Amino acid sequence: MSKTYDIIVIGGGHNGLTAAILLARKNKKVLVLEKRPVLGGIAAGEEFHPGYFTIGLLHDTGTVRQQVIKELNLAKFGLKTKARPAIGLLSKRGDCLPLSADVDAAASAISKFSSKDAAGYKEYAAFVSAIKPFMANLLNELPPDLSALGTKQLWALVKKGLALRWLGKKTMMEFLKVAPMSIADFLNEKFETDFIKAGIGAPALYGSFNGPWSSYTTINLLMGESMAHEQIAGGPQALVAALEQAAENEGVEIRTNAPVEKILLDTGRKVSGVKLKTGEELKASIVASSCTPHVTFYDLLQPNQISYALEHAVKHYRSRGTTAKVNLALNKEVLFNNVGGLEFYRTGNSFDEMERAFDPAKYKQFSSEPLLDIHVPTVANPNLAPAGHSVLSILVHFAPYNLKEEWNEESKKKLYSIVMKTLENYSPGIGSSVVGSEVLSPADLELRYSLTQGHIYHGEHAVDQLITRPFPLCAQYATPISGLYLCGSGSHPGGSITGMPGYLGHKPSLKIVESSGK
Amino acid sequence: MSKKYDAIIIGGGHNGLICAAYLAKAGRKVLVLEKRHVLGGAAVSEEVYPGFTFSVASYVVSLFRPHIIRELELAKHGYEVIPMDCSFLPLPDGDSLARWADPHRSRREIARFSKKDSEVYPEFSRVMTHMGKLAKAVIDHPAPNINSIHPKEIANLLRLGKAFKDLGPDLLNLNIKLVTMSALDFLDLWFESDVLKAPMSVSGIIGTFQGIRSPGTAYVLLHHYMGQLDGVFRSWGFSKGGTGGVSMACARSAMSYGAEIRTEAPVKQVLIKNGEATGVVLENGDELYAKTVISNLDPNRTYLKMVGESHLEPDVLKDIKRFKLRGSSGKVNLALDSVPEFSCRPGDGDHIRGDIAIAPGIDYLERAYDQAKYGEFSTRPYINAVIPTLTDPSLAPPGKHIMSCFVQYAPYHIKQGAENWPKYREAFGDTVVDTLAEYIPGLKDKILFRQVLTPWDLEQTMGLTEGNIFQGELSLEQLLFQRPVAKYSGYKTSISKLWMCGSGTHPGGGIMGASGELCAKTMLTSRAI
Amino acid sequence: MPLPTPFFPRTSALCHSMKWKEWAGYYAVCSYETLHDTEYYAFRNSAGLLDVSPLYKYRVTGPDAAAFLSRIMVRNIEKLAIGRVSYCCWCDDHGKVVDDGTVMRRGEQEFFVTSADPCYSWFSRFLRGYKVELSDISDQVAGLALQGPTSRDILKQVCDADLDGLKYFATCKARVNGFEVYISRTGYTGDLGYELWVDHEHALKLWDAIMAAGKNYDIRPAGLDALDVTRVEAGLILKDVDYFNALHALIDDRKSSPYEISLGWTVDLDRAPFNGQAALQAEKEEGSKWAIVGLDIDWPQLEELYYKRGLPPVLSNHAWRSSIPIYTAKDKRIQAGYATSGTWSPILKKNIALATVQKKYDKIGTELQFEVTVEHVRHTVSAIVSKTQFYNPERKTFTPKSSKS
Ligand SMILES: Cc1cc2nc3c(=O)[nH]c(=O)nc-3n(C[C@H](O)[C@H](O)[C@H](O)COP(=O)(O)OP(=O)(O)OC[C@H]3O[C@@H](n4cnc5c(N)ncnc54)[C@H](O)[C@@H]3O)c2cc1C
Repeated sequence: MSKTYDIIVIGGGHNGLTAAILLARKNKKVLVLEKRPVLGGIAAGEEFHPGYFTIGLLHDTGTVRQQVIKELNLAKFGLKTKARPAIGLLSKRGDCLPLSADVDAAASAISKFSSKDAAGYKEYAAFVSAIKPFMANLLNELPPDLSALGTKQLWALVKKGLALRWLGKKTMMEFLKVAPMSIADFLNEKFETDFIKAGIGAPALYGSFNGPWSSYTTINLLMGESMAHEQIAGGPQALVAALEQAAENEGVEIRTNAPVEKILLDTGRKVSGVKLKTGEELKASIVASSCTPHVTFYDLLQPNQISYALEHAVKHYRSRGTTAKVNLALNKEVLFNNVGGLEFYRTGNSFDEMERAFDPAKYKQFSSEPLLDIHVPTVANPNLAPAGHSVLSILVHFAPYNLKEEWNEESKKKLYSIVMKTLENYSPGIGSSVVGSEVLSPADLELRYSLTQGHIYHGEHAVDQLITRPFPLCAQYATPISGLYLCGSGSHPGGSITGMPGYLGHKPSLKIVESSGK
Repeated sequence: MSKKYDAIIIGGGHNGLICAAYLAKAGRKVLVLEKRHVLGGAAVSEEVYPGFTFSVASYVVSLFRPHIIRELELAKHGYEVIPMDCSFLPLPDGDSLARWADPHRSRREIARFSKKDSEVYPEFSRVMTHMGKLAKAVIDHPAPNINSIHPKEIANLLRLGKAFKDLGPDLLNLNIKLVTMSALDFLDLWFESDVLKAPMSVSGIIGTFQGIRSPGTAYVLLHHYMGQLDGVFRSWGFSKGGTGGVSMACARSAMSYGAEIRTEAPVKQVLIKNGEATGVVLENGDELYAKTVISNLDPNRTYLKMVGESHLEPDVLKDIKRFKLRGSSGKVNLALDSVPEFSCRPGDGDHIRGDIAIAPGIDYLERAYDQAKYGEFSTRPYINAVIPTLTDPSLAPPGKHIMSCFVQYAPYHIKQGAENWPKYREAFGDTVVDTLAEYIPGLKDKILFRQVLTPWDLEQTMGLTEGNIFQGELSLEQLLFQRPVAKYSGYKTSISKLWMCGSGTHPGGGIMGASGELCAKTMLTSRAI
Repeated sequence: MPLPTPFFPRTSALCHSMKWKEWAGYYAVCSYETLHDTEYYAFRNSAGLLDVSPLYKYRVTGPDAAAFLSRIMVRNIEKLAIGRVSYCCWCDDHGKVVDDGTVMRRGEQEFFVTSADPCYSWFSRFLRGYKVELSDISDQVAGLALQGPTSRDILKQVCDADLDGLKYFATCKARVNGFEVYISRTGYTGDLGYELWVDHEHALKLWDAIMAAGKNYDIRPAGLDALDVTRVEAGLILKDVDYFNALHALIDDRKSSPYEISLGWTVDLDRAPFNGQAALQAEKEEGSKWAIVGLDIDWPQLEELYYKRGLPPVLSNHAWRSSIPIYTAKDKRIQAGYATSGTWSPILKKNIALATVQKKYDKIGTELQFEVTVEHVRHTVSAIVSKTQFYNPERKTFTPKSSKS
């Protein structure tokens, strides 16, 4: 006899947990099924070498939304926030600019390199904060429904337009001007120092298939910047720990090591439950999937259960993973350009070099000098490594999923040595202090985290894949399959650790259970 | 001082001439001042080598608005465009793809590379027809002004809103893709074969300093597809007598309505008095006065050279300076002793009477772009070649031919500095000929004369800043109400009585005539003249 | 530039009229003689031989072949017995018809599909997750339609198949002079007839064998003009004439569901999901907007209009396929629909048409008005809604040797 739930959430990542908690809070019987032995998905910490830990595949928690933390009462479950630590922007000439979250502090650090850039940074920061209300309206609310064009939908669109208009004419016009630009064009207008431009612009490229000269990268940058705020103490895994407690508190049932094989539909093409790999069947009339669109629709359903439109949309949802992960265990504390003690560092050096780092990805090769997004978790928590030792958690851009020579031990070794060579630029001799390492190619990420093509954001951040994310057919979290909902990073507002897809995504499914419960 | 003219138009490009024709037809006294000895600007025919008439810059016509032909009686004045029947893609491995107006013939050709792709064209075409319908609603009217609450502007916005709404949700969403995606990603929605996608995607990069994988290039694809809308499938065609034929028809039409046209009359500056344009001063010092001045030049030249920074508000100056005009293409025109023959498909058959693309793959095109990004011209460039003499033998002596090659990428800003282009001009020409010779073995021996135009040359001779063929890149932030700058997009400028009518204004580049027409109509309906 | 079919050496030698047209990229004979009447009468009285090679042909094989086709087709192909043929259509997500054709089950895991439009691309979009191989054999397999009352007798002389036992919409393999052909008892004339499918290399041999055997049975090569008359008499719809491929239609109004084009009977709703299922289910419950009907156009009224101008009624002997407005009987300003093809039926001596009308006018016997132009002036004449199948001889489906005996 199979067990019955109101809602089954597939995937115990931070979004799945967020959705589960909010649903359970409405007195629904909620089950979370996680394939891995641990919860958290890409936010889970891992021991990658005996005695050395990372705090998550992704390491930036500055994007977790305040309203998620607040509404889930996560503080009650031990969640603490802290000011965003400075990010060390590294130049090849040996500079390290600590870019603080505090605009004045950052500007004054920048002024040591260029007073024009310091002024430019203030202007930039002012612009980012000026567009915040619009961005928040766009990214922290349910997306506008473009699936039909009735009066209601048009009105919703007009309201988004008005949110932009309310920024004031000048800001609005500036936004319309710069949003479609490349970050190179946009930042070149404001800054003159190459490595500063590169360092500021770098996040725009994460999770997109673009170089700094590609159009529309500015909108990515602005989205990230305007949503950035405090970090979570302890990083992603601390978030997961709090979510787990909150879930327990709401009575969510959580099963790990429980990979789902299929979502079950009844003869009326409505969701009736799920079947686990073990063969066990669990009943629920609502399933919320935090998996990627590809996994949800292609792997968890039979091919004839999805319409051609959906088949096509999934096939063309762009999710070309270009990020690899290198974790290093070091037997000492690390300095970059002679600066230590920062939690985050970024390389890039110049737009040309970043562009050259991207170029090979187009030809299915990895960068010969990749862009590194470095996190040193042991700065904040020395317990993640033996005393005096440190851990580097490095996101490596660009290493394409569909590598021409294929991902295997040999190509991973090559990637590793390229990463080490790049690190040597900023931390000479670092190689000799490595006591352990782990290289995760996009193919590994796919295998371990079920990330389609190893894409860290469940799909590229490109204009046509945002807002109507993943695609117009499922942009409102509901899918064409009755009873199936999405609540992962493949949905609005997208990837990185925000909690937002789970937070917003629980709403439509809740509406359905509540109405059917009546 | 008497103002003899209602309007002086600076520049005798086809848009300037069309603007002149509309104004003259409405009874206004108009003077056109052209710097060069020939009219047409980038749509110009010149006998550069005895007996051979080159379409020096632009070489094929499709976007030209048909209602302009009717309203200005251009056919009477010699406008004639002969449609092309084929798009030919030679491949290095000895294969080739020819796409024909005959759908089954095309289908069979494409099926050799991808069975699936061969059958998809009608579906793609259906979508593009709808997109084009929308585009038409956009290009045949002045850009909406999103800042104005003038009833006419609101009506314009509503008209556009309706055009969008009429698309229905599916196509609307596709439209979002079209505006923001890369040409390649967009084509990926339909096609799988590189051999098909490569020559189709290049429409997305013509005149753009972007690669086929760069976001935003899908729109340029549509820009080049729009010509198919006016009920013709074979949209691209050869203008009789070269593309200068179009300009000359416009000039004759303008003169028939009483416009005055002067060549070799370069304008030095616009005369501005109390913030108002009062006339122009020529390079030779002559001053000419008019009630209004209209510039056919690109925004950069108009504002920074003709007007001058001192007359500009800081906002406008900032926007003009950030207006992107990075030239990315060059032109090589060859006078040939006989028909060039492709080794993959020999002979002078119909396959070479249309446009010929050297675009043998996605990676090839992308690598060509990569080089340009770092300030080099592509050593293996994308080439769009035509042999107009096969269709219009009057352009060359009997049996002789012209091969007109549009080449990308040739960035204006080479790393040696744009002003050093003349030193690399012939090397660039060699690259183009070498590339072609890989497909046309005997080509080099057939060349009687070669004209090489780098972006630097386009700037010098035609006055196109940075050699940008569209008087400004066609990226979203430089289109519609932002072309050329947000505050002054309706053909008006920040200087009272000074107007603009070139491709640097909405709806943008190409031999379209729309900017000239819409500028004239806007001036007339707003009683500015 | 159309291509010749494998039968071109024969058809071109026989085509004295020089009347050709393009069919799916191939040269196709409209009529061999200047007038196609003899070819028509061959279909109805003896036998006509028609080159149908331009049809698109696909082979689907593999363990999931039946499931795969069932997902695409509106009919449940899993229920199709080996040796049987199914006439059906296939739809998009919205239950609008993409194309129609036949599916023949040649083996447990082997199917042969014909279509009017190229459908490889469409079919291939559903391959994911099915163990099947889909191949386009359009350019490898030639097709001949042998149609008419004497066709069985002719074919018996040519091959070894049990033709007396081959039922309507059945298919079998046969040998002809040492090569293989597939025979299906199908056709587009609404008469007794067969279609034969053969590899290109044997095409001419097959043609010759049939023509030789047919000599004593008054066989004639026949072209598309004669076919067009017979297919209207039989009430068989034609893509791009009576309906449009939903994938190519520029506007939604040009798309039709199977119910709207008289193919509702082919839709099998209660089964595993297939393309368009939900939409078709909804349409079945809520009703369709349109229906294709037959129209029997009043002859005396038409005659009268001609007589008034001092003319005898002159009708072309060609079937026509232009859109003609149909009005309600009560009010000639209200359009009830439009006729899409029609013909003078030489055998029924009737002026008939196929028309798309609003559902409320589709009852048999409903009187409508059909627009005619007589000497440059428009009129209407009455037309009575009838079954689309105007002509349906018993021999079409009769099998001499019933399977029970
Ligand atoms: C190499 C090349 C290839 C192209 N290929 C095509 C194609 O195949 N098809 C297509 O549709 N489009 C093509 N284009 C684009 C198209 O030709 C242009 O967009 C269009 O011709 C521009 O017309 P216009 O009238 O707006 O401006 P222009 O043609 O630029 O006219 C400006 C005029 O002003 C004159 N001028 C400049 N300075 C002064 C001054 N100080 N005083 C007086 N006069 C001055 C110039 O000489 C010129 O005549 C091509 C362009 C180039 C450069």
